[in-house]
Amino acid sequence: MTQYAMVIDLRKCVGCGACALACKTENNTALRNNGQTHNWADFIHETTGVFPDTKYRTLPVLCNHCSNAPCVEACPVEPKAMFKTPEGLTMHNDERCIGCRACQDACPYSMEEVAKDRASGDYSVISYNEEGEPTHPYYSDKTELIPGCSASAAEQAKLAGATPPHEMKYSHPDYEAVRRDNIVEKCILCDHRLKVDKEPYCVVSCPSGARVVGDIDNPESEVYKLLRKHKAFVLKEDEGTSPNVYYIREYSNR
Amino acid sequence: MKIKRRDFLKLSAAAGASAALTGCVGANEPTTNALAPGSSNVKIGEMPGEWKPSTCQGCTTWCPVEIFVQDGRAVKVRGNRYSKQNEGSVCPRGHLSLQQLYDPDRIKVPMKRTNPKKGRGVDPKFVPISWDEALNTIADKMMELRKAEETEKYCLMRGRYTYLRDVIYDVMPKVFGSPNNISHSSTCAEAEKFGSFYTEGYWDYRDYDLDNAKYILIWGCDPVASNRMIPATIQRLGDALDRATVVAVDPRLTTSAAKANEWLPLMPGSDGALALGIAHVILSEGLWFKGFVGDFNDGVNRFKPGMEVEETSFTEKETHGLVKWWNIAVKDMSPAKAAELSGVTEEQILRVARGMAQAAPNVCVWMGPGAAMHARGGYSAMAVHALGGLVGGIDNVGGSLQTAKIPVNKLDKDILKKHQDDLAKKHSKFEKIDQRGRLELPVISHGESGGGVATNNAATGILNKDPYDIKVLVGYMNNPAFSCNGTDRWEKALASVPFTVHLTTNASEFSMFADIVLPCTVNKYERYGFVKTKANRYATCTLLQPVVDPIWDVIVDETEFPFLIAEKLKERGFSNLYDCLVEMYSDPETGKKPADSKEFTIFALKYYTSPLWDGKEDTHGDKINGWADMLKKGMWNSEAYKYKAHWGGKFHTESKKFEFYSETLKKALTGHADKHKVDVDTVLEKANYTAKGELAFVPHYEPPLRHGSVEDYPLVFIDYKSRLNREGRSANCPWYYEFKHVDPGDIGDQDTLRMNPIDAARYGIKDGDKVLLSSVAASGECVARVWEGVRPGTVSKSYGQGHWAYGRTATEDFAKAKPRGVNNNSIIPWELERLSGSNARNGGHAAVRVEKI
Repeated sequence: MTQYAMVIDLRKCVGCGACALACKTENNTALRNNGQTHNWADFIHETTGVFPDTKYRTLPVLCNHCSNAPCVEACPVEPKAMFKTPEGLTMHNDERCIGCRACQDACPYSMEEVAKDRASGDYSVISYNEEGEPTHPYYSDKTELIPGCSASAAEQAKLAGATPPHEMKYSHPDYEAVRRDNIVEKCILCDHRLKVDKEPYCVVSCPSGARVVGDIDNPESEVYKLLRKHKAFVLKEDEGTSPNVYYIREYSNR
Repeated sequence: MKIKRRDFLKLSAAAGASAALTGCVGANEPTTNALAPGSSNVKIGEMPGEWKPSTCQGCTTWCPVEIFVQDGRAVKVRGNRYSKQNEGSVCPRGHLSLQQLYDPDRIKVPMKRTNPKKGRGVDPKFVPISWDEALNTIADKMMELRKAEETEKYCLMRGRYTYLRDVIYDVMPKVFGSPNNISHSSTCAEAEKFGSFYTEGYWDYRDYDLDNAKYILIWGCDPVASNRMIPATIQRLGDALDRATVVAVDPRLTTSAAKANEWLPLMPGSDGALALGIAHVILSEGLWFKGFVGDFNDGVNRFKPGMEVEETSFTEKETHGLVKWWNIAVKDMSPAKAAELSGVTEEQILRVARGMAQAAPNVCVWMGPGAAMHARGGYSAMAVHALGGLVGGIDNVGGSLQTAKIPVNKLDKDILKKHQDDLAKKHSKFEKIDQRGRLELPVISHGESGGGVATNNAATGILNKDPYDIKVLVGYMNNPAFSCNGTDRWEKALASVPFTVHLTTNASEFSMFADIVLPCTVNKYERYGFVKTKANRYATCTLLQPVVDPIWDVIVDETEFPFLIAEKLKERGFSNLYDCLVEMYSDPETGKKPADSKEFTIFALKYYTSPLWDGKEDTHGDKINGWADMLKKGMWNSEAYKYKAHWGGKFHTESKKFEFYSETLKKALTGHADKHKVDVDTVLEKANYTAKGELAFVPHYEPPLRHGSVEDYPLVFIDYKSRLNREGRSANCPWYYEFKHVDPGDIGDQDTLRMNPIDAARYGIKDGDKVLLSSVAASGECVARVWEGVRPGTVSKSYGQGHWAYGRTATEDFAKAKPRGVNNNSIIPWELERLSGSNARNGGHAAVRVEKI
């Protein structure tokens, strides 16, 4: 069996944000809107201790591609829009999705509405594209701040020829590069890259080399070796979802 | 309503699913592992595109990058595959810049002001005009100066630049006849360079050999977030933590501090005391690195706390003046005293000093702006850098390094002089508008009185019309009304200038005072240029290239503007500038003269970079086969920097050694004092310093300057640079606000002021409260974050927010000039570090009060 997994080395991670931003450029995710973050990669920051013995760490978060995925179980359509691939990814099929958000409800790493910033620990793996609204409402705004002199977002997008103007175009049988309205979306581990032997864009974009992806069942893989070498933890282990995103080592040397 | 509809969907779909379960294939599949891929006739992967090289100028790392271009659109970013600095990856700024390129508020056409009244919040009533009208108007204004023989009243203000700056910054003002080419250099780090220059004779940022360091002392910066080699440091910090001891000195908990073995949260402005305390321990315990510093003649340590030492008893190797330094400044700075002044514990001072000595000489002392950019920061910068000297980590394996050479061409001064007429020759030597070199403003960069720039004092000169009034002001890729502290002074100064031109991408604060605004390229994506940079022992020359065609009718500020103006001046009877440009920047391969501004830009780039690719000389670096190959690779790496290149008496100081007693500074200060016929004590007093006598020539502690009484402004304000700041140019990017929390202690989508719970309780402030932040200079609104990562008695906030212009996302309301948050540079009162000319922004001169709104 193949089971893709990600190992994040917190010793290497500096919480810089490059992974999450790179993901937004690769997957053309929208800006935060309607309580949805549309961040397929995001962060939790934790501060503990009292000055001057303050401790701080950042945990990069993304879809855990759980082996026992509640989102898949909750998906009511048949065949399921949220499903497991033979490689163990939790995949989303845009076409079959009916936008019911049962997956978002079921996922212990998702929230229906993310009101607060992630510095408070709130984030959501699954986001929903509101029914009847454009995916990138920012780029439909026709306002010119200085009429006739400065541009508008809509004009930028129109002249660039895409929405968003920096749309990264790719194709995949299950999902679109820019999602339509009334469906959910989440990290698909850049399956459009994995399938052509490229690592997910967050992995190649991490300047510290903290993110490693591979088949956890293959003893030759880097993830397999790292997990044997280091003690690892997963998020919300008690939920019983068997996440496939593992964290190793300490963020801080103190 | 939505919820109800959703529930309905869930229910009806579930019903459908159960129906399906009874009769469909897959009924016996466990529902949690339903394998149901989509249709398989779709070709998987990215659509065709091309990775094209350019350079990111989001910070001063100046990363060689590649941009993926599909259908003429820039879609994603990575490091240049050939780079020996970033090795193919970029920091978050690299990705963020796509929103800068496709910023909805970019200026798309030239525009002119129709409301003659100027001031903050006054609508300029801009209207679009043609390029021809814009250029004619500017040329006419310039010709008026020529006719009145007052060409010095033309002033060019430079912001971020490429090395094609020579054209707009050197050639254009000098041939026209003005001394006023005012750079922005002292906004960032000149006081920092002062520290390395007056110890090791190097006026530049240092490189750091992180791969071989056993001890890394990071002081006053967060090099995984800002400063000079970000991706390279991000890449190496994790391994360094496994191999070396990492210590961070900073009043706020930076990422480096969070990850380090040790955090020394000193009081702002106490850097000199802490550094001297560490030096005191190293010397009194006999722990200095003898291979660099030398030893007592008989090998017996005479550095006893408080006791003077006979100079002749010690023989130095690569250094100069160690005993003098001890006698003048170090002997009385016991670790206990340093602890009291800095707020860092004596145990930590002892532990760090001994740890550094144990790792010597592979010790990297990374001195950043926080240690230097104080009103009295010149000497603390020297003190911190001197620690590297004590442990031999200067120009050495695992220490701080200088740079390998980048063999590019220089501006041809003979051609320039040939085209200067008498008026230009005379008036370009007038005193500059920033008043550098005056008694109270030594700006002794590179050892010369008035040898550098005092960017922030240009506001003073303009406002007071001293030495004269500026009549035509041209700014490019700059915004001092936002980026220099004391913004109120800049606003008044800019309002007083009768004719201002701004070359910019966005209508920034500076633009709002302009009479003509010209739309320009976003450097990384839309223009040619080149920069020189270094990291990991490699010097790099990297090109900026137009990887996409600009959507708008924009020009390259540094080359096209001078060329287009030169053509207009020629039409008006002054052809010197045009003649100079086409002679100096003809195609180095064919000798062809540039036909238009676009060709001129390419020829200028070829002129400067040709030694790297023309195959005539060994470049001591990458072999590049011709111009086409240069464009394709986009960059050149040097050979690795050779360690100890300046050991053996080759430092560029007066003594040729690493100076603990700075003969170089003594000469510079004495030269400045002589020029004004005063003594050095007077110079220091006029320049805001307290030192008298010999103390002026050694690294020492100066008590911090403070604007605002302890009673009225009890807290000390700490400014820092966000890891998402593309200098000042990312504030209109929505992703900036979305991910602002990657700065430790920050919250997304708000301008966060971090304060310690002790202070929060004292002033009745709760986490998330809207607060009014006030200094003697200004007040503004931000949001409190009660956080343990900031020292009691201090508050910290990142620079970047508080724009009242720039764009829809950067401002609360652009039309009403309502800021989003508060600009740190409004809160920080106008101040300078006068020995280097730097903007003073750290070190505690900004005292503040925080009140709940």
